[in-house]
Amino acid sequence: MSSIPDPILDGLQRGWKVHGGPHAALPAMLDCDVAIIGSGAGAGITAEMLARAGLKIVIIEEGPLRSSSQFKQRELDAYRELYQESAGRKTVDQAMNILQGRCVGGSTTVNWTGSFRTPPDALAYWGDKFGLTDFNEAAMAPWFEQVERRLNISDWQAEPNENNGVLKRGAEKLGIPTKVVRRNVKGCWNLGSCGMGCPTNAKQSMLVSTLPAALDLGATMLVQTRATRFELQGERVSALVAEPVSLDGAVTGAPLRITAKHYVVAGGAINSPALLLRSNAPDPHSLLGKRTFLHPTAGGVALFDHDVAGWAGAPLSVFCDHFLHQGPVDGPVGYKLEVAPVHPAFALTNGGGIGAELAQRARDMPRTQLMIALLRDGFHADAAGGAVKLRGDGSPQLDYALTDYLLDGARRSYLTMAEIQFAAGAKAVRPVHEQAANYTSLAEAKAGIAGLAMKPFLATIGSAHVMGGCTLAADAGRGVVRPDGQHWQLANLSVHDGSLFPTSLGANPQLTVYGLAARLTSGLIQRLGSKPAPLA
Amino acid sequence: MQRRRLLKLGLGAAVVIGVAGAGIALIKPGLVDGKLGPGARDVMRAAAQAVLSDLLPPAGAARDAALDAQLGRLDAFIAGMPAPTRKELSDALGLLSTAAGRFALVGLGKPWAEASTQDVQQALDAMSKSSSNTRQQVYHALRDLNAITFFTAASNWQTAGYPGPIEIA
Repeated sequence: MSSIPDPILDGLQRGWKVHGGPHAALPAMLDCDVAIIGSGAGAGITAEMLARAGLKIVIIEEGPLRSSSQFKQRELDAYRELYQESAGRKTVDQAMNILQGRCVGGSTTVNWTGSFRTPPDALAYWGDKFGLTDFNEAAMAPWFEQVERRLNISDWQAEPNENNGVLKRGAEKLGIPTKVVRRNVKGCWNLGSCGMGCPTNAKQSMLVSTLPAALDLGATMLVQTRATRFELQGERVSALVAEPVSLDGAVTGAPLRITAKHYVVAGGAINSPALLLRSNAPDPHSLLGKRTFLHPTAGGVALFDHDVAGWAGAPLSVFCDHFLHQGPVDGPVGYKLEVAPVHPAFALTNGGGIGAELAQRARDMPRTQLMIALLRDGFHADAAGGAVKLRGDGSPQLDYALTDYLLDGARRSYLTMAEIQFAAGAKAVRPVHEQAANYTSLAEAKAGIAGLAMKPFLATIGSAHVMGGCTLAADAGRGVVRPDGQHWQLANLSVHDGSLFPTSLGANPQLTVYGLAARLTSGLIQRLGSKPAPLA
Repeated sequence: MQRRRLLKLGLGAAVVIGVAGAGIALIKPGLVDGKLGPGARDVMRAAAQAVLSDLLPPAGAARDAALDAQLGRLDAFIAGMPAPTRKELSDALGLLSTAAGRFALVGLGKPWAEASTQDVQQALDAMSKSSSNTRQQVYHALRDLNAITFFTAASNWQTAGYPGPIEIA
């Protein structure tokens, strides 16, 4: 029995109003001031602020409520219970795997804790192209400061693990600057299991911070409850229809109807546009679900003569944004370098190979370092993002094309990763590409990488950052949502999540979502006639 | 005359495949009551043997038991998938269980249960380098499902030198 307190079990004991799944039965009808769809980064911040302003809120989450005493650091449990589509969500052509949370806390429950303010060049682009001139660095700073205090976001003080150490050491040798990652943790045990749910509650995800605060203030939360569609009357939402679902997404009971003065959509950048599509929300400029971005992510493995043990220690503590700034933001695609944790199923499923090759890669795993390059999509006509579509049963799919422009960036990143890995002492490197071999020298790597056919599927590209689809813009011709977060055509509906982003960021998105949600919620509270209270 | 039918393969692509006489509608779903049916078990057993060959015990009773365990893990994993994904997988496995589907998508001449591990590995290797999205989709369904279910099992962690998570007090 663990001696670590479980704030969720404690809260349930105290009488939190949680319905659905194994909790109290779902009521047939609910009425509140604000219904919040989702419980991730945007929803969590919104929920706490609204609850502190004295508003009656209902939070609707499709996934289950799981907490520290259930987080056993096992990939299998985590992927099945905490991720969208058992961690197997894919683009329509299946060329990319998308990791997205689906549980209370959303992706904040399973992310790697990297906390980055929105890069200034992204904000400047949003000002130029989408009229969001008031979303500049200075205007956003107070909102970031507030959420950083609330979530204990600060530089990671401990030594990086060797997986991150390779990035730091190799880049340093080449004269390429790296930086320390800021993390939203408090008393982190340095276990390395962030992606499977934090078993010690050190990660200040929405699960252990804002949502408990809102629930303590009387918020109602519905779990394993999917927001099916809005009922619309003219320019207003009149109700949200939701349905109970099991862990595999199957409907398990009768629908319920939730009425509210205002509705905040924060289900993430695939599910939010999908809910609006299912509701036939007005979309006069055909923008809904479009410009969906992924930070398409290429990988490079390196083999060392010593243990890297890439599963142990804070998974993300060093980054390099040097290759985002080699040219104009709308020039050849830039990329951010990070590392990914090396757990057996994640590393060996994504790493490719069968038979003897797969067995060798497994044997090599303890000495394997895994670097990743996140491509900054959304700033160029050849990286205009994907489109969210609905299957016949209403479930969402993202149609996203890996263009030659993006794949050129992936190829350049392969070489960069190889150079850094060799500089750090790698004995061999291999881009994660079906045609690539282990290259034992930089010259061999250069020749090998130059010869790779850069095509979807051959290049293994994935994503853990879904952004866009409900673009925030200064006028209805350029976006789905107004600068204050309200839908351009629906008066009592706002969007508060990563689907607002007009482009990708070139940085891990959670802090941008938090900052935007804090700012937009403050305005919403005033529009609803209440007085906003700061988060921290 | 051979009738060409357009099959909307749930895996996301449209596959034109020649089916003499019998229509596509006669293809049995690969999953029965949410689990691998007899045809799909043959497909997945052969794929598991090819993908995981050098990670499994030598041929014999121990390997057979390891493959049975792997099929059990696949059943459990598939049961947790969302319904639309399960349907797509079921359609794909159903198609792969037919001689026409096996030949068109995998390029495997012999039935799954009769093909050697090397035959299946060669077919999978070719699929992994294929420029056909459909063949790539089928490859990843066969390969990735076997990899993820194998390496998530604690009993297989030692093959990857993984000591397991640090237990917390």
